[in-house]
Amino acid sequence: MSIQVIDVTKRFGTFEALNGVNLEIQPGELVALLGPSGSGKTTLLRVIAGLEQPNSGRILFNDEDTTDTRVQEREVGFVFQHYALFRHMSIFENVAFGLRVRPRASRPAESEIKRRVMELLKLVQLDWLADRFPHQLSGGQRQRIALARALAIEPKVLLLDEPFGALDAKVRKELRRWLRRLHDDINLTSVFVTHDQEEALEVADRVVVVNHGRIEQVGTPEEVYDHPATPFVYQFIGHVNRFRDHLAGDERNAAYVRPHEIDIFEKPDASAFEATLNHAVKIGSLVRLELARSDNGDLVEVELSRERYDHLDVQPGKVLYLKPRRVKIFADEAV
Amino acid sequence: MAAVLPTAGRLAHGVAIRARKRPVPWVPLLLIAIALIYLALFLFVPLAAVFAEAFKKGATYYFDAIREPDAWSAIRLTLIAAAIAVPLNLVFGVAAAWAIAKFDFRGKSLLITLIDLPFSVSPVISGLIYVLIFGLQGWLGPWLQEHDVRVIFAVPGIVLATIFVTFPFVARELIPLMQAQGREEEEAAAVLGANGWQTLWHVTLPNVKWGILYGVILCNARAMGEFGAVSVVSGHIRGLTNTLPLHVEILYNEYNFAAAFACASLLVLLALVTLAIKVFVEARQRKEFSK
Repeated sequence: MSIQVIDVTKRFGTFEALNGVNLEIQPGELVALLGPSGSGKTTLLRVIAGLEQPNSGRILFNDEDTTDTRVQEREVGFVFQHYALFRHMSIFENVAFGLRVRPRASRPAESEIKRRVMELLKLVQLDWLADRFPHQLSGGQRQRIALARALAIEPKVLLLDEPFGALDAKVRKELRRWLRRLHDDINLTSVFVTHDQEEALEVADRVVVVNHGRIEQVGTPEEVYDHPATPFVYQFIGHVNRFRDHLAGDERNAAYVRPHEIDIFEKPDASAFEATLNHAVKIGSLVRLELARSDNGDLVEVELSRERYDHLDVQPGKVLYLKPRRVKIFADEAV
Repeated sequence: MAAVLPTAGRLAHGVAIRARKRPVPWVPLLLIAIALIYLALFLFVPLAAVFAEAFKKGATYYFDAIREPDAWSAIRLTLIAAAIAVPLNLVFGVAAAWAIAKFDFRGKSLLITLIDLPFSVSPVISGLIYVLIFGLQGWLGPWLQEHDVRVIFAVPGIVLATIFVTFPFVARELIPLMQAQGREEEEAAAVLGANGWQTLWHVTLPNVKWGILYGVILCNARAMGEFGAVSVVSGHIRGLTNTLPLHVEILYNEYNFAAAFACASLLVLLALVTLAIKVFVEARQRKEFSK
């Protein structure tokens, strides 16, 4: 099932949450909506689901206009950030809910409901929890139950709002790999919202970067990381240094350089600039250096491998020489 | 407290702190004593007095006073008024709380203010309002008389007044509870294909069932105990338009103290039962929240 978002605008009072958004999602794709909080990514997901009505624009599922289709009839699976499990129902009943509320004519028989629910619980590897209640489950388990419940109605698309937002780091990592595998197995067009770039880059086929109610860039994880289309994408995905000097060529431009794309030398070099080391932070296998440029005092961030750093053998206060390997120049605008 | 402190002292200093070194907790003791004396004077003594007075002339007199036709009719009318007012306010309260907590619409704050109105208006005034509208000299009085409908000094007036004064209880109880629970579960139900009724029955109401029960108990207690508003519209016609509280007042004014207290003891019993259920419901609610 493909999804098309055509020129969608959504306002809350005077606040413009979505501003002329266009997006096309291919059948079977797993797409991440990535952006800072308040960027409109969740609103976009809710408009696709039918939980919000756009002020203008259309939503198409498989080239069919669903803008005015009620959320009940849209046949989407939606996983809420805080799971929104029905707290007074058992896990079994939570998953069965979507089947039980169907009109009598299309409602499966009790034995069929039982079979389907248990099948889904097995799919999320939690069939042994069928009789428990939501409050007896851990966050990660609740999230998987929420997913099973969303899948029970055999949705045409699966929408997930910050699916791992409320989980701790380790569970997050496990769950997102699991989601990726699950998606590859069931091959359902899926869209998830996240503010975590690592999550988006790791899980998604394509990443949609959203900011101020507009789409900044759509591309594969490699494309948005290696070839950011706008200064915002450069800054939001990964760390970046911004220079406004000879590197940019023109005073109306700014140059963007990733911290790991800067070479560092102990001896002066013709095209390198001078900087003093402020401090170094070791993060696992990486070392992040903060340096102050000698000419204008601007701070520069550089990332090195642990080996390279140990090889350099530098102390804070030491003067070093920096040379960017790759520079991207944009017309300057305060981001 | 007393059991914990010495242990803590021993841990800190390696030796037990002797009990006399601890200051005697005068202030807490004093405050507790004041509270208990206050409760005894203003709650327990009157409560005991009601039953003592009621049984002063013996159990036979007590049961005769309750079985007396006028008392019996007062009991019946009280039950009828509550039986109409409570279900109506239950339906209204749930509907209002649902609308306020789960939807955004124009005039929402006005609705919330209106729900509180019976709390802020004196019951006597609310009774008078009905007299001004439905009474013989009132706006609808002549029309009602033409069609031979009696509202004031009749059962309909009493029911109306009871509905008015007990109107906020269920809604007031449910609104904060439903607001705290948010809208996500309702949205989840909608996405799963549930229509409005299914969502209300299977998702919203089960989540607030103890709140509903709590509201109904308070509403019922007030409906049966209401005096002011009902007194204005009732006309005090013995055996016809007297509710239990009004009947107690009449008996008392006639110096028939034992009978007055006998009937009053019924209301006290109602209050005690209400309290017991309330404690039970609150405990259940806490249990559910602590999940």
